[in-house]
Amino acid sequence: MRTGDFKQSYGELVALTDSPPVWLWSAVLLLALILAPFFLNAYALSFLIMILITVVGALGLNILTGYTGLISLGHVGFLVTGAYAYAVAVSKYGLPPIAGFVAAGMVPAIASLVVGAPSLRLKGLYLAITTLAFSFLINTLILEARWLTNGARGISLQRPTLFGISFDSDAAFTYLCLGFALLALLATLNIRRSRVGRALVAIRDNDTAARVMGINLHAYKLLAFVTSAFITGLAGALYGIYLSFVSVEGFPFLLSIEALAILIVGGLGSALGVVLGTIFIVLLPEVARLLFNLFSAQMDAMFTTGAQELKSMLYGLVIILFLRFQPRGLVGAWHDIKRCWVNWPLRY
Amino acid sequence: MQYLIQLLISGLAVGAIYGLIAMAFAVIYKSTGLVNFAQGEMTMIVAYVAWTISTTISGNVFVVAFGAIVAAVLLGLVIERVVMRPMLGEPVFSTVMVTIGLAVILRSSINFIWDAYPHALDLGVGRHVVRIGSIGVRTGQIAVITTLLLLIAGIWAFFRYSKFGIAMRAVAADDRTALLMGISAPRVHGFAWAASSAIAGIAGVFFAMSYDLSPAMFQLGLKAFPATILGGLDAVLGSGLGGLLIGVTENLAGGYVSSGMKEVAGFLMIIIVLMIRPFGIFGERDIERV
Repeated sequence: MRTGDFKQSYGELVALTDSPPVWLWSAVLLLALILAPFFLNAYALSFLIMILITVVGALGLNILTGYTGLISLGHVGFLVTGAYAYAVAVSKYGLPPIAGFVAAGMVPAIASLVVGAPSLRLKGLYLAITTLAFSFLINTLILEARWLTNGARGISLQRPTLFGISFDSDAAFTYLCLGFALLALLATLNIRRSRVGRALVAIRDNDTAARVMGINLHAYKLLAFVTSAFITGLAGALYGIYLSFVSVEGFPFLLSIEALAILIVGGLGSALGVVLGTIFIVLLPEVARLLFNLFSAQMDAMFTTGAQELKSMLYGLVIILFLRFQPRGLVGAWHDIKRCWVNWPLRY
Repeated sequence: MQYLIQLLISGLAVGAIYGLIAMAFAVIYKSTGLVNFAQGEMTMIVAYVAWTISTTISGNVFVVAFGAIVAAVLLGLVIERVVMRPMLGEPVFSTVMVTIGLAVILRSSINFIWDAYPHALDLGVGRHVVRIGSIGVRTGQIAVITTLLLLIAGIWAFFRYSKFGIAMRAVAADDRTALLMGISAPRVHGFAWAASSAIAGIAGVFFAMSYDLSPAMFQLGLKAFPATILGGLDAVLGSGLGGLLIGVTENLAGGYVSSGMKEVAGFLMIIIVLMIRPFGIFGERDIERV
């Protein structure tokens, strides 16, 4: 009798999942998401769209911070670059939306080479500070380059029409976001189980050892930057389309913090964690509002006047509490629950 | 020529404020090994407390200064004890993220405790103009530069001669050996946070006196970052001087290039400095392979 979960070939070890129920439940979830726009009202649908867009962006950051262990405080810089690349290509030069999305990926990827270059020499804190500086430089650059970006006036955007399908309505736009989220998720999962992903994780865990094993640190760090910026840029384009207006103010520094909060809450370096973390963080302000609502109407007034402040305060609290009490994030909690379920009444 | 000198003087004055905050960064980094991303927010909170004291209790300069420093020390001690000490021994990523979380909380708390409008901190001093030849200097500008220089001298003497200062250097150099020598690391950390908060608080009050209080004041922390990096994260005195350098550069860039350039001159310098000398001008080089 099999007494444990043994992998007997290399293929089994790197398979996406070895469990049929996981495939089944993933299919059920996908079906539910496809059917969701028919049943959800506009308000709930806006949250679904936000979650799907945020998942793409957070998955992008996850490749850099979660897998490779390079802290980026300036990821909003890639987000805004992606949004502007799309807006300039489509609204200003009238290119087809497909070309816009390609630009939204490629321009941040090229920008990331500039930011990534110092990262070859810098580690930890210093890299965090460099990326922070980068995100401020990008904002100034966009405001100064008026001939291209309209400066502070921003660029307005239409919902795109791809392959003859119009994504004008919210329901249709949900499918577009769902498609991008699925692609991003599959891409990260497959990167993680490939040679590249293993190299990135090796760099995170011990870069000296990784180098000794023949991993080219410079190439792989830059690769992590480029991939991460590409995916984040796509999220930026989606977000810009959703807002139907791209400006520097639409992408505040808080988004960088939000992305890091998602990674911490979900559990660093796990795609499932990113998804769980995104759902948690996007719904957190709304859930908090409903909870406070139960206590008093006065709190509700506070939420409408200081919504942005309360949101950032919640993010701060969540970051601190998770790091203090559940450093492995929601994924860690999920694994603990699963183990308890399987092994009960034994401890392990 | 007069324009240049005027730019230099206002650059030195605002640079002295950056220098103070940069020293606050360095004091914490030197004794605990982490960058406190909430420094700008702590500066802002202390300035707001000073403003509250000046409007409710007394507008006397000395009362406000004393109250602000006491509040700053308390703030530093509370943050260290409640938020930072439980994170002792955790990886850098976690502790840095905790300070970022703290920064976001403090930043938004301003709007709930006080309000979102700008206020003037008027203590009746610091706005007179002294004329030296054809150049006008405000007394507040002279005061902040003098304070920076005095603090630099004082901190140098403290680290060089006092027993506790030497203990702090010992903890920074090697906390385990310091523990074996009977130095209490938590006490050193607590002291570092209190001192750093007080230095940053002084900077905040000076800033509020010559400019205005507003919820956007936390950006002072971001402006002071380049100064710390330039001077070297672990060089307290170097950070102070780095502040002056950044202040002057920023003002020259603003005066001769463009106002957008003024905003990012410091960050451009960060990137250049990190590319060439990542440990700063006065910092110690870490020998590291890979």
